[in-house]
Amino acid sequence: MKFIDYVQLNPFQKFWYNLKKFFINLPSNLGKIFKAIGRFFKKMFVGIGKGFAGYFSRFVKGDWATKISYLIMGFGNIVKGQIIKGLIFLATEVLFILYMIGFGWDKIYNLGFFNHGTIGFREEGYGINPVTGRPGRIEGDDSMKLLLYGVMTLIIIGIFFAIYIANTKSAYKAQQLKAAGEPLPKLKDEFKEFFDDKFHVTLLAFPTLTISIFTILPLLFMILIAFTNYDHSHIGTLFQWVGLKTFGDVFSNSGAASMGKTFVELVKWTLIWAVLATVLNYILGMVVALMINKKGIKLKALWRTLFVVTVAVPQFVTLLLMSQMLDVNGGAINVLLHDVLHWTPEYINFLGGDPWVARITVIVVNIWVGIPYTILITSGILMNIPADLYESATIDGAGPVKSFTKITLPYMLFVTTPYLITSFVGNINNFNVIYLLTANLQNSNDLYQAGYTDLLVTWLFKLTMNSQDYNFAAAIGILVFIVCATVSLLTFNLTKSAKNEEEFS
Amino acid sequence: MKKIIALLLAVMMLAGVLAACGGGSNNTTDTSKPAEGGDTKADVEDPFYGEDNISLLVWAADNAVNTTKTLCDNFIAKYPNKKITIDVQTQGEGDAAAQVLNDADKAADVFSFACDQINRLAKGKALAPVIPDFKDDVTSRNTEFAVSTATLNGELLAYPETGENGYYLVYDKAVVSDEQAKTLEGIFEACKAANKKFVIDAGNGFYSCMFIYTGGLKLDGLTEDGTQVFNAYDKEKVLDSLEAFANLFHQYSDIFMSADPARIGSGMAEDPSTVGAGIDGSWNAATVASVLGDNYGAAKLPTINIKGTDTQIISMNGSKLIGVNARSKFPEAAQLLANYLTDEEAETARLEELSWLPSNIKAAESDIVKKNPALSALSDQAQFSEPQINIADTFWSPVGTLGNKLFNTDKFDRATIESEFDKAISNVLDE
Amino acid sequence: MIKNYKVRRITSNIIIYILLGGLGLIWISPLVYLVLHSFRYEGLAYVTYLFPKQLSFKNYIDLFTVTADSSLNFPRWFLNTFIVAVFSCIISTLAVMMVSYAFSRLRFKARKPLINIGMILGMFPGFMTMIAIYYLLKAMGLLELPLVALVICYSAGAGLGYQISKGFFDTIPRALDEAATIDGATRNQIFWKIILPMSKPIIVYTVLTSFIGPWTDFILAKIIVGKDIPNYTVAIGLQMLIDSDHVLNNFKKFLAGSVVVAVPITTLFLFLQRYYVEGVTAGGVKG
Repeated sequence: MKFIDYVQLNPFQKFWYNLKKFFINLPSNLGKIFKAIGRFFKKMFVGIGKGFAGYFSRFVKGDWATKISYLIMGFGNIVKGQIIKGLIFLATEVLFILYMIGFGWDKIYNLGFFNHGTIGFREEGYGINPVTGRPGRIEGDDSMKLLLYGVMTLIIIGIFFAIYIANTKSAYKAQQLKAAGEPLPKLKDEFKEFFDDKFHVTLLAFPTLTISIFTILPLLFMILIAFTNYDHSHIGTLFQWVGLKTFGDVFSNSGAASMGKTFVELVKWTLIWAVLATVLNYILGMVVALMINKKGIKLKALWRTLFVVTVAVPQFVTLLLMSQMLDVNGGAINVLLHDVLHWTPEYINFLGGDPWVARITVIVVNIWVGIPYTILITSGILMNIPADLYESATIDGAGPVKSFTKITLPYMLFVTTPYLITSFVGNINNFNVIYLLTANLQNSNDLYQAGYTDLLVTWLFKLTMNSQDYNFAAAIGILVFIVCATVSLLTFNLTKSAKNEEEFS
Repeated sequence: MKKIIALLLAVMMLAGVLAACGGGSNNTTDTSKPAEGGDTKADVEDPFYGEDNISLLVWAADNAVNTTKTLCDNFIAKYPNKKITIDVQTQGEGDAAAQVLNDADKAADVFSFACDQINRLAKGKALAPVIPDFKDDVTSRNTEFAVSTATLNGELLAYPETGENGYYLVYDKAVVSDEQAKTLEGIFEACKAANKKFVIDAGNGFYSCMFIYTGGLKLDGLTEDGTQVFNAYDKEKVLDSLEAFANLFHQYSDIFMSADPARIGSGMAEDPSTVGAGIDGSWNAATVASVLGDNYGAAKLPTINIKGTDTQIISMNGSKLIGVNARSKFPEAAQLLANYLTDEEAETARLEELSWLPSNIKAAESDIVKKNPALSALSDQAQFSEPQINIADTFWSPVGTLGNKLFNTDKFDRATIESEFDKAISNVLDE
Repeated sequence: MIKNYKVRRITSNIIIYILLGGLGLIWISPLVYLVLHSFRYEGLAYVTYLFPKQLSFKNYIDLFTVTADSSLNFPRWFLNTFIVAVFSCIISTLAVMMVSYAFSRLRFKARKPLINIGMILGMFPGFMTMIAIYYLLKAMGLLELPLVALVICYSAGAGLGYQISKGFFDTIPRALDEAATIDGATRNQIFWKIILPMSKPIIVYTVLTSFIGPWTDFILAKIIVGKDIPNYTVAIGLQMLIDSDHVLNNFKKFLAGSVVVAVPITTLFLFLQRYYVEGVTAGGVKG
């Protein structure tokens, strides 16, 4: 299609055109993503190289005080008169050295570099204590703890290294300013900056800190666990680094309930689930929202409240109750359908019987959970659709269905793509609905520690809590991340290509 | 400069973290010192071997918390010149091993657990074996069965807390007659006549193992690496048994109900009651007995007709044990308390207050056992049951799933049953 | 023709009323069932009929008065949850506002990389790290103070939830900032005096979501609090009432407790619904 043809399309046709283009270009887009990742690493390495070059050139150009700062941090600043700044650097160095001597080095030493990949040295045991002659515990190393402290120490070394580099820079800068005869900045002035030009540092310092400690550190730790053999047979003993073996096992195909088969089965169902749950909640929710907001419908607030109340009740209550109501042995829904309404010939095993019946049930329950959210989010936007679009459509003879698919849907898709991506990723990780409804009801001897309605994330949970296969759980977590990241990147590209076009008129 | 401040903050925070960690590990060494470095001369007279300022955490089942508290208070009173504090928390025995293994440092010093978890706990090095001071006494005062459930590879790892702790048949005498309660077919027929449910938790390995046990399959220990070993069973006989159960479940599909045993009590309490009989554990016995009143019936498990012969259903039979956490900061006191909590007096107290069958030989001879229908049903069933020892972790889930398959699939011909059985066995063996 | 059109409109409205009525009934009925059975007097855990035969307040009275029993202390759990919710809500809201303001209004070198890191972190499943968080808290000695540990858990990562409020801040015209800067205001003053007062919907939205969190979380809380029943939150306390050891005698109390938890949250939510909608549509969709 030439540009001139494209410009003449109406906005909706443009959108569909872009959507089509997106799928045609999918392979090349994927290629682009990999290239971008490559570029990122290239940039990183170039940056590191430049950093080192700067590090050495500053040393060569530096005066004696700057050179000493390479060994005794803060020396250059102190000599040049920035005493407090220099002392802070010095204190950091002293603290770091004390930390490494007293704690850090031992943890690095225990990380497995010196024990054929086993984290820690002494096995836990029980025996006669030679001092007292009484039986008792012989304390051993705890690989889990050692690994956690090891990771923490590595991070501290990294931070210290960054401060160290900043120290050399600062010393050199002080030297330059002194040489140029300019006054050195006062600490007070530098401090004031943090409420204006450097306000972002003030704002981000605290959240960054807590996120680093309680999100990034545990995450790095669990990613490392995926490369060890810390499974249910290594509770109470030391575990080892095994490289990629865990991932190999996740894809292996041996035995009645192989992990490979389970993984493939669950990935398939996770994707089906995520697509169905997202699309159905979105479209049906929008239909309900349209009905509530239709001109001439009265009691709008009442209708909306009926749906929205369900958002506020905690899910573990409503979903557990739902699983009671869906129970095959006289659950309320079965009683209603069979005993009261006589619609079904017998009680239906909604959750514990045929896998597909259970899967459909969880999707339907998820619609119950999800539609109110869609109503909340879309109501406002639906009102913003220009009324003349509908009017002209009605004049052209379009019915309600046609005007929904031709006007409402494209418009909403255009505006709410970010929401759709978040809810898709959210559904891939939708734990509550699946776990609270079917917990272990769909478990099968064909699957390893999983049932037919399990998503990857509920499998991860079962592997952690039921069978204590921490390494497999970690590996699956990483794989879930890869799935989510790919989906998000791809759809993000789609929205970008759509948003680059002019806005809707 | 901005970076410096940010980084400094980060370092300080992390240093704080580490200081806390350091502090934590110091604490453990400090507190373990008195245990190790006591005055050896004084130890001879002192059952605590020098431990003092003792604080212990005890985990007991929810309904046993109050009884355990009383017993612990008596224990404290017994040693007036020691400073002892004991905290009792509730923790179901079925889940104790998982809780202990998740974090042995935070787990109780003395905890009650179901005996099937003993090899998990031993593998996780969480159990301190019974110390030589008490070993002979424990072995001689308890029944052979109870001692066997507490022993692994010839080592006595825990203190027996109860005798046979399995499940039994509970029935409403208004629905099922004592005669009908002797056969599974009779129970189903009686329940059908009254249009009431018969409940077995068939999806739970603890109950569903009876489908294969009745066919002659038995457990025969574990290999070195913890894999389950079976006896040389006749597969055809096991399949016969599975088929017989599956046939009954399908024939009486509107009567049979696979659900949590709590449904038995709930159903019987409804007006009109919806449940006629069920296979229930002893922990619900008191509630069910009070619901049914005079109509409360309890018996050993019924027989099932396999290929024309009435075969006694074989069940699983465990015991509850009290274990000492290997990481206890007061190991001597913990052993002493565990021993105290399982002596004749304590077991009698539990028998009187909780109707728990004692493992103590003398306490088990009490009249209370003979008068309690559930307890006598349990001891009747004992001879038709397999001890719940040396069971691999991998046993429960596949066997439970196999039980589920017997009733909730429409196809239950022999070939399907065989393939489900093969898969279950293969998963138990962790192949 | 016009009459025909009118008839068509009326019939379509009637159909919509019927549909909305039916759907509304379906949506509300589990909650009605919950409330009705929380008043059920007869029976133990489960019953096989729809409507209770005898209603009473017994379950509610038991819930609040039977606290001597070691396994049940609902008033204490309620208080715990309230305390945790208040503190984590204050900290989380501050963190979210700070991060999203920085990302939305300020320009600095690390902005893009930080936004990307935030997005990447959000894509790892949260359950992956719960065991590591447990050990981390244990190393810091915080497991002895479970409520503090819970506040930390709920609010430490809150800064990562910046997307929606960043989207909201993006919609506030930059001209405001510029005008204030010309008048000599620092960024700090702009944040507190100009932007925050204009952001009521998104603040309410953030407060509401972070306040509700602790009332509904039953996984992380269980791992952290463990066996320490007096320090339970309502979510794990109610969960405990229906495990296989307790369900027979406690299921009705579970229903009553659920209603007690649901009523304040629902009231709060309905009361503040308008802000919630404004916040989420402004931030989550247009962003």
